[in-house]
Amino acid sequence: MPKDSPLKKGWPSRATWPSVIFLILVIFVSASYTFAHRVVLFAYVEGDKVFTESYFSDGKRCQDSRIEVFDSLGNKLLEGKTDKNGEFSFNPPKKTDLRIVLTASMGHKDEYTIPSGELGGEAGGSSPGSESHKAAKKVFGAENGSSPRQLTPREVEQIRTVVEEILDEKLKPVMRLLSKPQAEGISFVQVMGGIGFIFGIMGIILYFRSRRGR
Amino acid sequence: MHISEGVLSAPVLATGAALTAAGCGIGLKKLDYDRVPQVALLTSAFFVASLIHVPIGPSSVHLVLNGLLGLLLGWPAFPAILIALFLQALLFQFGGITTLGVNAFNMAFPAIICSYLFAYAVKGKNNVISMGAAFACGFLAILLGCLMVALSLALTGDPFVGIAKVVVVAHLPVMIIEGLITLFSAGFLKKLKPELLGAVHAKR
Repeated sequence: MPKDSPLKKGWPSRATWPSVIFLILVIFVSASYTFAHRVVLFAYVEGDKVFTESYFSDGKRCQDSRIEVFDSLGNKLLEGKTDKNGEFSFNPPKKTDLRIVLTASMGHKDEYTIPSGELGGEAGGSSPGSESHKAAKKVFGAENGSSPRQLTPREVEQIRTVVEEILDEKLKPVMRLLSKPQAEGISFVQVMGGIGFIFGIMGIILYFRSRRGR
Repeated sequence: MHISEGVLSAPVLATGAALTAAGCGIGLKKLDYDRVPQVALLTSAFFVASLIHVPIGPSSVHLVLNGLLGLLLGWPAFPAILIALFLQALLFQFGGITTLGVNAFNMAFPAIICSYLFAYAVKGKNNVISMGAAFACGFLAILLGCLMVALSLALTGDPFVGIAKVVVVAHLPVMIIEGLITLFSAGFLKKLKPELLGAVHAKR
């Protein structure tokens, strides 16, 4: 290794910079508009079914990838494959925390956990005659005005089902948005941060080098 | 080609980490301090390359640039790739911290092999051979990287040939593109700054 002043005839001369800057620029310009590589799995509950969607972080769907579902103790409950749209749905066999694991090709993996509380439906919802039920009856009775008619339990049950169905339908996009991890956007700031980090390391190395050299 | 967390078994992870540590040790020892800025520039190039998605083929693949790093840096490509992968894991959640060693080795080892195979040829006087070698360097680095990924996955239980086929086929477009990128970069540098290419594996 030459011990004399490295910068005199060493690498970072003026002629080099254009080439390297060109290289970085080419990469950069195309980089700002694309996303890349990891898989994202997310899942949501609708009714008594669990829906999962999986895609690469550039938006491409993971087709024909393995989905495994585990309970809170790590026992495998079921297994399946995603369809052409990267979707897979199943009926949870029991009410427990569900850990859903996606294994896509080439060593890509992601998982998503649905807490047992989100699994609604018949298994754990409030039974007829509970507090909310009575409240509902009262409200309906009051709003009918002059002649408060008591609703029969069957009618209440019907209303409950219809409302639940509509709510599920309406909330579906919201649930999706909420459960979708914020994975997709790789921001300019992150890219710049990473590059800044690298040049920071370079600066530190060169700093200590220059101190030692004197 | 970032392997995610929780896919590989502990021995594979440990082996990968140890090999990467060794590679980085050699890389840092061989690093000429005058070339630190060049290493940093190529580290950033590698860091952003994974954001360039290649929209050809059924799977989702991206550029890697390990061949270019190997060709221009030689052994210091090891620490460069490690740092870039670390930042990718940290900022983009590509791969993961536990798989960092394996991922770095999978990308850096082919880079070193290719630099030994092709660096002299690229430096050579004959332009046709030189450019051919540059293309082969970019191409082969990805191909070997694919095989390394398949090998790591195979060591955890999956059949090697099956995975290798999937990974290699998915990365065929990347291999060609990287071959071309390496070719043009080498051609460009050769005209502008031939001593840059000559620095690798040079006796000092």
